[in-house]
Order: sequence, then C-alpha cells, then structure tokens
Amino acid sequence: MLKETGTNFLVRSSRIFKSSLKLRIGIILFTLLVISVILEPAINNYRLGGHESTEIGLYDALLPFTFEHPLGTDHYGRDVFALLLTGLKYSLLIGLMAGGLATFIAVSLALIAGYKGGRLETLVTTFTNAVLIIPLWPILAIAVLFVERADLMLIIVILAFFSWPWACRQITPQIASLKERPYIELAKVSGLRDLEIMFKEILPNFLPYVIVGFSYAVAGAIMAETALRLVGLGPGAIPSLGLLINWAMYTGALAQQHYVIVLSPILLLVLIFVSLNFINIGLDEVYNPRLKKITGL
Amino acid sequence: MTEKLLQLEKVTKVFRRAGLGLVSEKTTRALDEISLTMYGEPTIVALVGESGSGKSTVCRLILGLEKTTSGQILYEGRDVSQWLEKDWKNYRKEVQIVFQDPYGTYNPFYRVDRVLWTVIKKFHLASSDRESRQLVDQSLEAVGLRPREILGRYPHQLSGGERQRIMLARIYLVKPNLLVCDEPVSMIDAALRAMFLEHLRDFKKLGISCLYITHDLNIAYFIADSVVILCTGQIIESGKTELVVTDPLHPYTKELISSIPNPDPSKRWTEKLDAERVGLQKLGKGVGEQGCIFYDRCRYAMAKCEKNRPPLLKSKDREVACFLIPEAN
Amino acid sequence: MQAILEVENLRVYFTTIEGDCKSVDGVSFRVYNKEILGIAGESGCGKSTLIEGILRLVKPPGYIKSGKVFFAGSDLLHLKERNLRKIRWKELSYIPQGCMNALNPVLRIEEQIVDGIVTHTDLSGEKAKEMTSSALNAVGMPSEVAGMYPHELSGGMRQRVAIAMSTCLRPSLVLADEPVTALDVIMQRLNLQTIAELKERFGMTVVLVAHDMACHAEICDRICIMYAGRLMEIGIVDQLFQKPLHPYTKGLLEAVPSLQRRRVKSIAGLAPSPLNWPRGCRFHPRCPFQKKICKKKEPALREVDSEHYVACHLYGD
Repeated sequence: MLKETGTNFLVRSSRIFKSSLKLRIGIILFTLLVISVILEPAINNYRLGGHESTEIGLYDALLPFTFEHPLGTDHYGRDVFALLLTGLKYSLLIGLMAGGLATFIAVSLALIAGYKGGRLETLVTTFTNAVLIIPLWPILAIAVLFVERADLMLIIVILAFFSWPWACRQITPQIASLKERPYIELAKVSGLRDLEIMFKEILPNFLPYVIVGFSYAVAGAIMAETALRLVGLGPGAIPSLGLLINWAMYTGALAQQHYVIVLSPILLLVLIFVSLNFINIGLDEVYNPRLKKITGL
Repeated sequence: MTEKLLQLEKVTKVFRRAGLGLVSEKTTRALDEISLTMYGEPTIVALVGESGSGKSTVCRLILGLEKTTSGQILYEGRDVSQWLEKDWKNYRKEVQIVFQDPYGTYNPFYRVDRVLWTVIKKFHLASSDRESRQLVDQSLEAVGLRPREILGRYPHQLSGGERQRIMLARIYLVKPNLLVCDEPVSMIDAALRAMFLEHLRDFKKLGISCLYITHDLNIAYFIADSVVILCTGQIIESGKTELVVTDPLHPYTKELISSIPNPDPSKRWTEKLDAERVGLQKLGKGVGEQGCIFYDRCRYAMAKCEKNRPPLLKSKDREVACFLIPEAN
Repeated sequence: MQAILEVENLRVYFTTIEGDCKSVDGVSFRVYNKEILGIAGESGCGKSTLIEGILRLVKPPGYIKSGKVFFAGSDLLHLKERNLRKIRWKELSYIPQGCMNALNPVLRIEEQIVDGIVTHTDLSGEKAKEMTSSALNAVGMPSEVAGMYPHELSGGMRQRVAIAMSTCLRPSLVLADEPVTALDVIMQRLNLQTIAELKERFGMTVVLVAHDMACHAEICDRICIMYAGRLMEIGIVDQLFQKPLHPYTKGLLEAVPSLQRRRVKSIAGLAPSPLNWPRGCRFHPRCPFQKKICKKKEPALREVDSEHYVACHLYGD
C-alpha cells in the first residue's frame, strides 16, 4: 500500500535519524563530544609536548586568551583548554561505563523477571525496590571516601550499583506487557523456547527503551559523580569536569571574575546533558509521532 | 473407523485473581465441566459463544498455553500435558492455531515472511534453502498472494487481510492435523471474509480438521459441519449445523438465532427483548451457584431450573442441556 | 420533510509526511427530522471522520478543509466555540466509537451522569440525580446500575450507559459512531432496540454509523453508502436493499452473510488509499461494470428516483 519496499536495518536507522530534528541535534552533538574525547590524547600530546594537562606550573598562571592558550590558563598554570578536554574525557568515560553497566544489569534482570513472571518477578521487584529506598547520596559519599587511590573502575561500579534500580523498575513492567503480545504466543506455538523468545522476540522490540534507559543512566551517573566532586569528594587524580568546577571554586575564580575557568566545564556538562536529553526526546517523538505536532518542532 | 482426534472431558478452568488490600479476590469460572469430541474425518466444528462464554479459554487450553483446573484434554487419545512434556515438537506440528488479531501476531521488528521461515526451520519441513524457498512460494500462491509482493515486507506495509492470509499460508506449510481458529475473520474487512473461509474449506480437503471459535452464528452456518453452543462456560447445545440452526432446542440458542440482524428490512425484529432480564444475567452468576446457567434470563424457566443444572442429553446427532426436552427424545 | 441537519460539501483532511490524506472529500447530505439515518461503508472509508468533522471534534493532524454544516439555523463549522458548547449535549449529542471504554473507572455511574448534566445545564446536583434514574430507565437499565462502577458492567451495558448519558438531556439529534460494533449478538440487538426507541419514545433523530449492513436493515429509515471519502448512494432502506443501484452497494449486500443463504461473495480488489484516491469514479478499479468514462470523470450524486440518489455513470450523466 505504501511506496516503500522491504528495508534493512541500516536504511531503517537512517530513516529514524532523519525523521526527528531533535534526535539529529542530539546525536550530532554527542558525536562531536565523543570525537573530541577520542582525539584528546593526540591533541593534548601535540599542544603540551608530552606533558599531562593536570601538571602544575607548566605555564604561567592566569594568562590571557591567546592563540597558544585559547582559553587562557588557570591559577595553577595549566592550559584551560587542555584541562577541559581531559575533564570531558573522564566525565564521559565514567558516565558511559557506569551507565552501560547499570543498563546491562537492569535489562538482564528485567528480561528474566518480566518474562518469567510469577515469583521470580516478585523477587526481583522487591529487591529493586529495596535498593531504591536506600538513600543514594549519603551512601555514595561514604563509599567514595574509601576510594583513596585513583580507582576509576571502583567509582564506575559504585555509580552503576546505585543507578540500575531506576531503569530496572521502569523496564520490567514493559517487558511483562510485551510478553502478552500475540506474536509471543505465535512464537510459542511455533516451537520456540523461552530463551529464544526473550532474545529474539522481546529484546529487539525493546531496543528503543534500552537506548533511552541507557542515556538516562549515563546522565544520571555523570550528575552523581559531579555532585560528589562539587563537595570535594572523590579521587583527586581523576580530573572529571566536576572536579574542574571544584578547583575553580576553590581557587576563587568566580570572585576574581575569571569566568571562563568556572563556566567552561559547566558549559560542557550542559552540552552533554542537552545532547542526551535531545536523543531521548527525539526517540520519543519517533516512536510517538503525535508528540511532534504538540511540541511544534 | 473414525478415531477420536480431540476430546475434552469435563474440562474446568477457574481463574483466580489474588486479592490485595482494597482489591478483592475474584474467582471466575471460565469453563465448567465441558466435554466435547472431535473425530478425525476431517471436519469443521464451530464453537459458538458470546464474549465471556469461555471460548477463547478453550483455544488456549488446547494449545497448551494454559493448564486446566480439572478435567482432561486428549489429543489422539493422549493427554495434552503429556504431549507437551515428552513430545512437544510433534504436538506443536500437529496442532496449530490462527489467531484473531492480524496486527499483533507479527513481531514488528521482523519481516512478515519470518513466520514462514520459522516453522520451516523448527519443524524441519525442508532439507535445503532452495526447497524452503519453493515451499514458501507455493504456500503463498496457494492463498492467492504473490511471493514477490510479500517477501521482504514489514507488517505495517500490508493490510489486515493479507496478514491473515500469510497465517493461512503458514498452515499450508505445516499441515497440522488439527487447526484451532480463534475468530480469525473478526478483524478483517467483511468483504474479504468469504475468501478466507473458502481456504478453510480447502484445508478440510487436505485433511486438516478445524475447530472454529466464533461468536458469529452466520459464519458457523457458512462453514461448519457441526456446531457447539457455549453459554457462560457450559455447553448447552450441539449438533449438526443445519439441524441446530433450523430447529434450535435450547432457549438460549433460540434467542441467539433470532437476535442475528437480518439484512432484509421487510423482516425486522418484531419482538422486543426484555432489557432488564437480559441485563441481569450479564451481571454475572457467582461461582458454584446451582441451577441452570440460563435461569435468570429464560422465559420458560421452571421451578426445578433454579436449583438443578440440567444434564447434557445426547441423542443420535444432537445434544442439549435443558429440562424442557424430555429425556425420552 | 424538514431537514434537521444539512451537510454541504464537507472536506476533512489529515496532514501527513506524504501529503494530504483526504478522508472526507466532499460529502453532502440531509438528515430529516425524527428519522434514523444510517451511514454505511467499509472500515477506513471515512465514516467516523465525517462525524467528527460535523461536530468539530477533529484533532490535528486532521483539519476541516472546507464545507458547511447547518443545524438549528446556524453553520456549526463557523460558530463561536461558546455558542457551539451551548448546543452540544443539549440539542446535539454524540456517542463516540468505543465509548464503552471511555467511562471514568473511578466514578460510579450515577456520578458520571450527574457530572455531564451539571456541566451542560444550570440544574442543581439533586435535580441531576433525579434525571439520572429516568435516563437509565429510558434505556431499560435496572436502577441498581446507578451505584455501580464501570468495570462491574459488561461491554454491552456500558454502551447503554453511554447512550443514557448522551441522551439524558433529550437532544434533538444524536450522532452515534459504531455503537454496536464490538458487542455480542444479543447485546447488539438490545442496544439497537434501545436506539430505535430513542426515536419512537422521545422523537429524537439519530445518525447511525456502522459497517454492518444487517444492523442498518433492522432499524434505519434511510441509508447513505460511503466509499473512499464520498457518498455513493443514498436511499430509503427498503429500496436500497431490494433494488440497490450502485455496484458498490450491490457488492456490500452480497458480502453480508445470512442464515437465509449459504453463499457469500466478496468484492474484488482492495480498498484504495486516502492519500491517492483513484481518478474518475473512485470505485472504478473494483467495479465489474466499469466503462471508459468511469476512469476519467467522477460521477456526481444525482437524484434518480424519489429520495434515491446515486453517483454512478450507469444512470445517465
């Protein structure tokens, strides 16, 4: 009835990409950020001649904006632009890995609980709710106090442990309802076994939710990490954007009107969150076309 | 000698919804000791009932998607739960279903022909890719579809009628002994229904027996050899279609038949239904209550109907459960 | 005969990425006082959209492209919103499709009916309550129903509650969109009976949208046959069923199964897409009597007999 013929995954993906302006903006923005992170070692190596961006006293303090130092230098004589790139790298790394781990845990548990139902579902739901009730922030703060060394993996695991329940709680009922679809029953009478049904029938339809859940988990992890940094917690050797903000405040950059040093990491954080949110809203619009007319974009 | 293909023996199914706080516990008796037999001639039997009669439950029980609360379902003499435990691959190949919803039965992530390739693979219907392709082409052509226009399409690109026909093509591929149809034409356009039903007649010639579940007596009349009438979980009448439709015995069957709208303006309904009486029965009878299921609505209700459930009386080609019918018949 | 509603060239379009979807594309008809007018046609022909258009209930991406709808002396499509609201529910009422699922699950039936009455009139709560029982009795519901919740009732009973709600203020015109479609045969008969009584007992005019021709045969006085966004035939029910003029009407009637005959014939071909109606007569690709002119020129709806209109080149033009 429609003009299009059978299409494969790549074509469908590109069509989804083209159909929502917000999705395009989100993906492009996020890709730019990721590219900056990939190029960070090369850029910093080239510009700093082998030194680390966090090295104190590499340059004179508080230099003005020049071609050599596009954003100047901070109180410790570090090139702000280089610091930003490193900060972006660590923030994104923590976010993506913690978010990824959290999503993986959430989806696995949700698939098993939602599909099997019954006692298993009750068990997982109760466990999830129990973890949810635990106040995240105080425990996170205390846990981080014990991380003395610059242990990136530990931070990631701690963050992931506290973010998976949200996603799991949202995903499980959706899977439980997907399981009731007629095509699942058709799969059963066609001889497919439970595991096959979970991964081949349910999971593919569930991918958009996984992506949305993932981007929320990433945003959540970055926010949690930043929050810790702002109060001075966390390993000082891992310069995430939150830590950059903390350093800037600590050295009184705002009071001395060195706005760029404070605002630039904040701006990058905002860009990260905006891009992730645009991806979420964009995906929502694609799968819910009515929203497009209502929001007007 | 015609062996018994499918037997339901005093099958009861009770759904219990657990109470939690403000929501009270609710027990629904979907099926109440129903018994029926299908012989393997092949034949088409229509199971007719309104919504809430339990007809969809029957279909799910036969396919093993639910378990009975009590009673047995036998396929070729062996209990279905046995089949599903020990021999489930063969059971799935021999007993198949066409669902009601031509939209929901397709996984939107995959192309439509996946439903065909899946059964070829799972039931080992072909030994090579080329043979598979041939079988798929044949089955699509057998239901009047052109392979070129169907293969590679996604569900949303086809109409409901086309999608249901692909389900029929799937049955052509599998060639089960027993096909259960759960209202397969209710969600496709009226104009296309006749075509679909003709294919079911073709299946009969291929040796596939069909249990056709529907609320529409017209369709049952059009396609079934015999008909079983279900009312709130109980079988109240059954027999050869021609007989039951032209000479209904049970008051419910009579009401059902006279309520079918007649596309002839000169023959409109003359009698008015008593709204209150019909309304009352739909408010539901409790589980375990005695008496005839139709007592509240029956205009011929007698004293004994209130406390006693009429037994299903069998004569040579009919069954009916009503105290109005003398046992000698 | 006096016309209570007059629709003139109504067009309701939907904007889509692929162009305008012309669901209702130039529909004109009259509804006479105290009659039951049926609008018949396959699913997707635009019947529901037509009703939504008449009542100005079309939501974006749909919009009313053009047309006039005359009721009680004014053009409903150009009325100010607050004047329209005065008419709605009191003189012009609507039973939407699937409304048995649109009842508020947390309110008792009585509360919902009172709600409706109080919103559209100046009556007090107590007066409204009294009207509730008479409204329920009018559709033959036992009075216990007033204190029940929607989920305690079956689909057919909820449908009748919806009919009671829409008619409690005794509007002069009721537009019912597929009111019996999802119901069992006995409930369907009961609800059709209820709708027919609206005309007999209260003198209401009813426009009934349904795809089942047999339902139309049971209670309608006149029927409009809709196809591809336009009307193909309008006629008095006896005439239409005994002597259908338009080939599509004939096809529809032959596709209706009945216990009187075991044959049923389908209409060949598939329903066309509203993004791209066929040129000329919209039915010509599926018509067994198509002529050359049918591909080029679209036939107009003409009166060929008393109160019998048809849009087909077989009948002059």
